[in-house]
Amino acid sequence: MEVLDTVIGFASDAPFDAEIHLLSHAGKVEYLDISPNDVSRRRIRLSTDKGTDCAIALAREQRLADGAVLKLESDRAIVVRLSEQEWLAVSACDQAAALELGYFAGNLHWKVRFDGTILLIALEGPMQTYLDRLEVILAQGKVKVVGPND
Amino acid sequence: MPKSSIAMELTKTPNKTAARVGIGGPVGSGKTALIEQLIPALAERGIEVAVVTNDLVTKEDALRLQRSGLISPERVLAVEAGACPHTIIREDPSLNIAAADTLAQNFPQADVILIESGGDNLASTFSLDLVDYWIFVIDTGGGDDIPRKRGPGIIRSDLLVINKIDIGPYVGADVDSMQKEASEIREGRPVILTDCKKQTGIKELIDCLVHNVLFLDA
Repeated sequence: MEVLDTVIGFASDAPFDAEIHLLSHAGKVEYLDISPNDVSRRRIRLSTDKGTDCAIALAREQRLADGAVLKLESDRAIVVRLSEQEWLAVSACDQAAALELGYFAGNLHWKVRFDGTILLIALEGPMQTYLDRLEVILAQGKVKVVGPND
Repeated sequence: MPKSSIAMELTKTPNKTAARVGIGGPVGSGKTALIEQLIPALAERGIEVAVVTNDLVTKEDALRLQRSGLISPERVLAVEAGACPHTIIREDPSLNIAAADTLAQNFPQADVILIESGGDNLASTFSLDLVDYWIFVIDTGGGDDIPRKRGPGIIRSDLLVINKIDIGPYVGADVDSMQKEASEIREGRPVILTDCKKQTGIKELIDCLVHNVLFLDA
């Protein structure tokens, strides 16, 4: 088990960028794939894409993020790779339906973003779970799914 | 490959931080009783514990632990929610973060800070800004259909505990069915059965914490 307790820098920032670039070409960078649901954690146990068992244990003031370098040695690096957030995009048929949809999403504590008149719901579980919750207002035609959106 | 100047400059410094583990679940599911079992069992493995309790408008759970003789009273802090319990473990966990920070500062050798939510409903979840890992506790007395109700606490928690398996036969709860349905709903993520009167499942639960968040099994 490799204990990783510090974000020592970011792969895109100097002076790490050149180092990580060289190691990457030599196949010496290991990636830890982390989902958006888990990126807030300070502690998590995961395996890298090369199978190294890693225990992340950050101080409270540190945060994981895409490109965070957790280990850098002369012949190896371990870097966080944040997977894409998946979204469910829905739109309301009129203002009254939009109010109802907004209330509904808030009541369910869904994480959302707005794209004009489209409500983007961050999927923290299977999409069907969200569609099940929306079933009634979808069936009533108050709301329609306008697609997954990433 | 030539030696990396950056890599050579990086020095390893110990970064001891206590893991923060949330314990949530409905009123009466046995969260405090579970903590009363965990404290001595963790101590037996040399794991130092501190606890934050949450109650609505009292310090009842903190007082219960402080008077239990299981833990130094100063290692237990109470937070009074004053409102829906989930608001201070999810929407704005700042009171609980402050309490956990105080314990971490006062007891720097603590390995784990347990944060017990006030009794809530199946929708209760923890902010990952507050905890590193969270356990959701249900019990057989609540009915064996609870897993099928698929609340976020049941689905999203890192570990689901089905407590009070000893009373299952007396309340008409099919414990095997609860476990099977819970495992299916959680797509294989851990479900542990406990009976706090007989310490059933406590070792398994601690093994789970040791592996997933305390990292002491290397």
